[in-house]
Amino acid sequence: MNFAFSEEEEAFRAEVVAFLEDWRDLDAFFGQGHHWPRVKQLFQAMGARGWLSLGWPESEGGLGKPLTWEYILWDEVGYARAARNPLASGIVAKTLVRYGSEDQKRRWLGPIRSGELHFSLGYSEPEAGSDLASARCRAERHGDVYRITGEKCWQSYAQDMDLLWLLARTGTQESRGAGLSLFVVPLDAPGVTVGPLPTLDGDQLNEIHLDGAEVPVDARVGPEDGAWKIMAEALADERHIQFPPKRVRRDLEDLVDWVRENGRGADPAVRSTLGDLAVQVEEAEVQGLIVLDALRKGRPGIVEAAANKVVHTVVCQNVARAALEIAGPAALADDCGLNTLWRQSIWETIGGGTSEIMRGVVAKQALGLSGRR
Amino acid sequence: MDFELDDAQRAIVEAVDVLLERHAGPARAIELGAKGEYDGALHGALRESGFLELACGEGTGPLEAALLVECAARAGALCSVAASALVAPLVLGRPGDGPLALVESGSTAPIRYAAHAHAALVLDGDRARLVPLPDGSATPVASTFGYPMGRFEVGALSEGDDLGAGSGDRLRDAWRLALAVELAGSMAGALETTLTYVKERRQFGRAIGSFQGVQHRLARCHIQVQGSRWLALEAAHGGGATEASAAGAAYAAEAAGRVFAETHQFSGAMGFTREHDLHVWSMRLQALRLELDGAAGHERALAEARWA
Ligand SMILES: Cc1cc2nc3c(=O)[nH]c(=O)nc-3n(C[C@H](O)[C@H](O)[C@H](O)COP(=O)(O)OP(=O)(O)OC[C@H]3O[C@@H](n4cnc5c(N)ncnc54)[C@H](O)[C@@H]3O)c2cc1C
Repeated sequence: MNFAFSEEEEAFRAEVVAFLEDWRDLDAFFGQGHHWPRVKQLFQAMGARGWLSLGWPESEGGLGKPLTWEYILWDEVGYARAARNPLASGIVAKTLVRYGSEDQKRRWLGPIRSGELHFSLGYSEPEAGSDLASARCRAERHGDVYRITGEKCWQSYAQDMDLLWLLARTGTQESRGAGLSLFVVPLDAPGVTVGPLPTLDGDQLNEIHLDGAEVPVDARVGPEDGAWKIMAEALADERHIQFPPKRVRRDLEDLVDWVRENGRGADPAVRSTLGDLAVQVEEAEVQGLIVLDALRKGRPGIVEAAANKVVHTVVCQNVARAALEIAGPAALADDCGLNTLWRQSIWETIGGGTSEIMRGVVAKQALGLSGRR
Repeated sequence: MDFELDDAQRAIVEAVDVLLERHAGPARAIELGAKGEYDGALHGALRESGFLELACGEGTGPLEAALLVECAARAGALCSVAASALVAPLVLGRPGDGPLALVESGSTAPIRYAAHAHAALVLDGDRARLVPLPDGSATPVASTFGYPMGRFEVGALSEGDDLGAGSGDRLRDAWRLALAVELAGSMAGALETTLTYVKERRQFGRAIGSFQGVQHRLARCHIQVQGSRWLALEAAHGGGATEASAAGAAYAAEAAGRVFAETHQFSGAMGFTREHDLHVWSMRLQALRLELDGAAGHERALAEARWA
């Protein structure tokens, strides 16, 4: 057992930290929608260094680095609050590497690697959130094209993205997960409308209407009706970077800074709360490393990732809640930094799979508590 | 002892609900909230119908006023009914006339209704002051916490009528009582909306409210909302005595933390959007549970009153 990173990995971390110095003005981990042009610049700068394709195989233009490198990169970017990891270079690219046709790879991998091309995740629908296998958005094949009709909702950042990574039904409704396929759909295609859903953190999600939008057959990624397995594998591609533990460390540090600036550091009740939170942050960090370790050893890390998601997001909320309670009514002003921290924490236990679904995974897969037996 | 409303109280609650049905509700709260406005029409309607006088009326008192405040909070009302109909009578012996803000002296934090209030009850150590507020006394503050907020400059509220010895404690107690009642009403609103949602929302072929894990947690919320309500009404029945008001406010502030988290959790992504009504109540819970130092402040007040 060894809890430390290698010298080479630490050197890479130092390089990332130095790189991020130039992006200190960028505060887009929360509310990316307000900062997209600059976030895109950041991704382009990262792309120029090959960092968006760190873990892709060299044969596909990647650097072929171990998962740890991606972990370190996004952990530091999260700590700097610069941005969240983009969908394109993670789920999308790694799926294309695995399942894309040569033509698809040629078309998309290059601009994804350079930070030029960006995707929104088109999974959820008004009637299909946790139960994604019930998705209804339909793609009908007509000769060389698919005609797509349906509704998607709660898409993050879709207002700024280029393409939609779309889950759509090609089989019968009864076939559930076995009748779904994945498509790449331009968000500005005829028949696609993107509308804002304002959210409580002052940003927005989006709803996307597809009204007979046509895409060529080769916009389908992987086999028809084959989405379920591909999506499961793609989730595994993200597990080690989706919840960068240093982000919660940063949350706590921001709270501590506020406490110091406002002369509250000597208050024993405040100190004990901060100490409690520090312990929770340690837990989140160790859970994050457990996921990384599982993936590095070639295990799917499903249970570890589910546990990590629960812990990480609950710690986010606990820090945020303590921030509100310590700052008191001063934090009710939207321009108070702790206010942003708190408001965006509301959804952490919902987006990307709810805590209940994650705990269900742990109960079934780790504890063997399945079904009605 | 009787935990049911008597006929007169039921008549009051029904009449208040009829009025709120017409003048309040989540749609109106969202419309006014978007513009940062105060519900002057509702305030006027409550005054004209005499409801603001309940606390010092003939045959009615703080308990009846508390029932009014509870109904208003539950209906998402955006006016200072708690301060005007419950706090002012207990502190001044008469209802507040126009929109009324409650302020801790020297506070520069956002304060509910500050930018719309015609007067403020200011808590300053062991004294309270009634300070008239000409237009522009407070600056509006952008806030997502469900109330129009404003902020006063330091020293802005140093004038006004000193309400004499003991007035500080009276204000503190009445304020806590009002918080307890408003929290109870707002929690009830948040929970009702969520219950409707989990009964309608289907995933995995069934209503999400049919999952036992969801049921247990919402049942726990329900028990705490009820607990908050009874403690608040009991405190009102006793005229807002220190211990009972502090206990009611402390219990409700703690409960509100849970009710906020659980109602949002079970409302999924929908509850995080502004198109869903939940935020009308849920965000206010957070504003209310921070006032007067939140649960910790109320608990200290209780301990001091009992064991000092
Ligand atoms: C900020 C944010 C960003 C998002 N970004 C995207 C995006 O980019 N693309 C995209 O496609 N989607 C996105 N989503 C949607 C997200 O994937 C869904 O919110 C999530 O899958 C949960 O679905 P739901 O909101 O419909 O909740 P529901 O599935 O309706 O669940 C509601 C409640 O019921 C509980 N519940 C459901 N089933 C069970 C069960 N079996 N047992 C116990 N409890 C249960 C849930 O845990 C939850 O508390 C985003 C959501 C948020 C909040």
